[in-house]
Amino acid sequence: MIICMKITSPVVELTDVRRAYRSGDTLTRALDGVSLSFAAASFSAVMGPSGSGKSTLLQCAAGLDRADSGRVRLAGHELGTLKEPKLTVVRRKVTGFVFQAYNLVDALTVEQNVLLPQRLAGARPDRRYAREVLAKVGLAGREHARPAQLSGGQRQRVAVARALAGRPAVIFADEPTGALDLQSGREVLALLRQAVDEFATAVVMVTHDPAAAARADRAVILADGRVVADVPDPSADLVASELTAVTR
Amino acid sequence: MIGLAWAGLRSRVSAFLGTLVAAFLAVALTGGAALLLFSVLTARPTTHRFDAVDVMVGGDREVSLTTVTDKGKGKHKSKTKTERLAGAPVLPSDWAGKLAAIPGAGPVIADYSFTVALTTVDGGPIGSATGHGWASAGLMPFTVRTGTAPGADELAVDPSLGLHPGDRVRAVTRTGARTLTVSGVVAQKLDEQTSVFVADTEVASVSGLAGPTALGVRNASAAEVKQALGVDTVYTGADKVRADLPSALPDYIGAISIFGFVIGITTFATVFVLVGTVALAVRRRLRELALLRAVGATPRQLWRLLSAETLLVSLIAAVAGAPAAVVVAQLIAARFRVLGAVPEQFTVDVNVGVLLAATAVTVLVAQLSARLAARRAIRIAPAQALQETVVEGRGGWLVRTLVALVTTAGAAMILAIVPLDGPFGMGMTFISSALLLCALGAAGPLLVRVLGAVLSRVAGSTGIAGWLAGAFTRAENRRVAAVAVPLALMVAINAPMLLNSALSAKLAAAQERERTAQATSVATGVAPLADVQTVAGDHTALLPTQLIVDEGGKPKHHAAYGVQLGGTPVLDLGFNAGNWSGAGLAASAYVALGNGWHVGDTVKVWFPDGYATQLPITGIFDRGRGFGDLVAPADLVAAHDPRGWVTTVALRGDQNVPGMHTAPVQARTAGDADEQEGAWEIMIAVSLGFTAIAVINTFAIAAGSRRAQFAQLRLLGATPRQIRRMAAREALITVAVGLALGVAVTTIVVTAFSVAQDGALRLVVDPVSYGALLGAVGLLGLAAGTVPTRAVLRSVRPV
Repeated sequence: MIICMKITSPVVELTDVRRAYRSGDTLTRALDGVSLSFAAASFSAVMGPSGSGKSTLLQCAAGLDRADSGRVRLAGHELGTLKEPKLTVVRRKVTGFVFQAYNLVDALTVEQNVLLPQRLAGARPDRRYAREVLAKVGLAGREHARPAQLSGGQRQRVAVARALAGRPAVIFADEPTGALDLQSGREVLALLRQAVDEFATAVVMVTHDPAAAARADRAVILADGRVVADVPDPSADLVASELTAVTR
Repeated sequence: MIGLAWAGLRSRVSAFLGTLVAAFLAVALTGGAALLLFSVLTARPTTHRFDAVDVMVGGDREVSLTTVTDKGKGKHKSKTKTERLAGAPVLPSDWAGKLAAIPGAGPVIADYSFTVALTTVDGGPIGSATGHGWASAGLMPFTVRTGTAPGADELAVDPSLGLHPGDRVRAVTRTGARTLTVSGVVAQKLDEQTSVFVADTEVASVSGLAGPTALGVRNASAAEVKQALGVDTVYTGADKVRADLPSALPDYIGAISIFGFVIGITTFATVFVLVGTVALAVRRRLRELALLRAVGATPRQLWRLLSAETLLVSLIAAVAGAPAAVVVAQLIAARFRVLGAVPEQFTVDVNVGVLLAATAVTVLVAQLSARLAARRAIRIAPAQALQETVVEGRGGWLVRTLVALVTTAGAAMILAIVPLDGPFGMGMTFISSALLLCALGAAGPLLVRVLGAVLSRVAGSTGIAGWLAGAFTRAENRRVAAVAVPLALMVAINAPMLLNSALSAKLAAAQERERTAQATSVATGVAPLADVQTVAGDHTALLPTQLIVDEGGKPKHHAAYGVQLGGTPVLDLGFNAGNWSGAGLAASAYVALGNGWHVGDTVKVWFPDGYATQLPITGIFDRGRGFGDLVAPADLVAAHDPRGWVTTVALRGDQNVPGMHTAPVQARTAGDADEQEGAWEIMIAVSLGFTAIAVINTFAIAAGSRRAQFAQLRLLGATPRQIRRMAAREALITVAVGLALGVAVTTIVVTAFSVAQDGALRLVVDPVSYGALLGAVGLLGLAAGTVPTRAVLRSVRPV
């Protein structure tokens, strides 16, 4: 038996990250000292009950929000030292993003949506690769359709294609299957799995669905802003029981 | 519903701010304009000149014509039209005796009123005044403060002239120029006229009046006087002012037409903008409306909510807008007083009813526009609340196309059929601009799509910011139309006014040059006709007056000149039929055409003091622009106009006219700015200011509604700078579309006006001011398009 070890530095690294929100008199600690690292070419699910800080974790890791304290390293960049617009430039180069809804710009066609991040980066849009990726997500031939003409599942797949088209180091997905039917959800998860396996992209996915987490290599469970479980090779049952334990 | 609306308003003030601002301006501007018009229409001239007597009697101050039409079957319809006279007739000589004979009546005072121009002995101007015999002083009464009452060759003056006893002045009346010594200064000064007095023994010879123009009597009642004289009209109380010389009283006719125009423009602009703003505000809330439908609201309930919100917003706006209306009216009135467009005594009558009416109109317009905008919106499917893209529905094209076609047809008809070279020319061009703008508003999104497609391709070649800007403007043409159309409004309302009045002034100046082409110099000032007749060589003297002519049963007044020809005519009026050589009447081609007059026709003419005569038309001339409509013999004008003096003499040669200032023809400047120009200046300022605010408002609303879009773009990797640059290019495209539409409307209207004046096709009458206007509108649009976006961007975060 040959054991191959891939020694790679983590593509996302959070060290003792804290983030709190104040509204009125109440202080909500969304992240209360979280230390995590996500390796390249890995598929990680981030889970937890509502209010556990999953989305905040994603936003801090992706450079969309600034941590109050702690360090965030994204593909070798120290996000804490970066200021706008450098932060946006880095984010745009290194990450892809898939949200639960409102992914696409209604005024643009499918192809224009897929190529938008590249254009924003000032790079020559790689049309050929975009078409290839669109074919991969099963939307070949729909390049000139507008988002209004697509179903929810199709729109989500365009979002995945957009995330992939820029060949990012990491894709952050916030509840990507939340609004989809079972079949479309499975297709999107397969695409994300493919991104990891074929394109060596890291995927960090926030989800509350244990079945979705089962497709990942690792499930991190948060509660009250802290990591309470880190499950390798999760199965749906295992994840479900961990979640129930947390919420008891 | 009202409670729900109120709660909604309080919690999201910013969402309703746009409508609030538009409604506030609507109330302030239409209210202000309405107050001005109302004040001018109800203005009653008052005077204290007749305070010391009870009853005043004067001759007819107007010309009345009655036409009776036989409608068959023994029925008759009679119509009476009247026109004010500019002067006053002399009263029958036995009236004074008859009044004195009234039992118990006090002394009867004879009032001679005439116009006199005062200059210094060497011809420097002092001013014009209303002259009276010293007996008239008893009507107020005037009392001497310094010096004495006037004797022979003497003059008593009121304090406003700044003269002292012993000063020598030259007084010009229609009977001649005299040098008089100031005998004394009276203590009282009337607001509306400057008063001077001559000795009773001289008043008839100085004024040229055969008898008094009015009589006043104390201790008699109106009924007694009527019976004694056998007349129907006597004046008592505040009405006594009508016994005075009409030219001494303030004239509001010009002001009425100006304010009528102002209210037309402000009402149109405010309605236009209010409709657009309310529609925009409703469209922004489609998702929220869908949500309300999802939780169980019926379309009818949605409508009632929208209606209640709009009602509350317009009422709140009215509370602030009504006092603002008063301020607006006062400001405009002050400026007009300075310009002389309204008399000095004009005050704004703050009438609560007028303000309420303006408020009611604004509320009604807001409600109707909400209804229009909500028609489709309230039928939105509840499921849309849950969907990503909320589509309003692509309908409404039929109504829009219909409105666009009807209004365009209306504008075309006006421009083709209505004679634009007449007195209503400017008003009609405004109406056709307004109709074309309505067409723009209706067809807005379609036109924007076409124009925007072209412009966005151009923008697309300038990098990602331009490409995004192009994509957004192509896709969201309703939003672009909502901001481009107010920009077009700014151009299309103001540019035609600016250019058409510039063209009128240019043409008038050109005709003036043609008229004076054969003159070497022109003398201006004030001189009696007798003095001018002594000038040697060729000269043509002009006496300004107003004549009333019977035109098909209706008395119409026209600006006219009495003309004295000395030798060969110096002024070339461009006669196209006949020729005028001192007798009869000459008419301008415009008036002759309008009345179907030909050389040889006889018309009935009334001179300012009521003297009526039949005059034959001996000539029809082309060059009436900036001159007058009619030419009459000078001696008739001198005898029957209260001024009756010469103001201009065109000379061929180097003669001097005594008492007037002579200058070579080329050296003459264009003349003082008309009071009309001042009025245009105000209207342009008001409409520019208002539409500027409207444009800013619409842009701000549009920016606010794009918050989510900006956040999405940030999330996808756009830096704030990229979004700002995109917004700048979007503003550029929008401004270009708006300017293009505005220029299109302006060109149509201005060209039609130009062709109507003299057949010449002019697209750009005055490149400098046109360019300045377009530049100002363009800059405003760019600023309005980028500043709110920056403000929104500052608070937009990717999540």
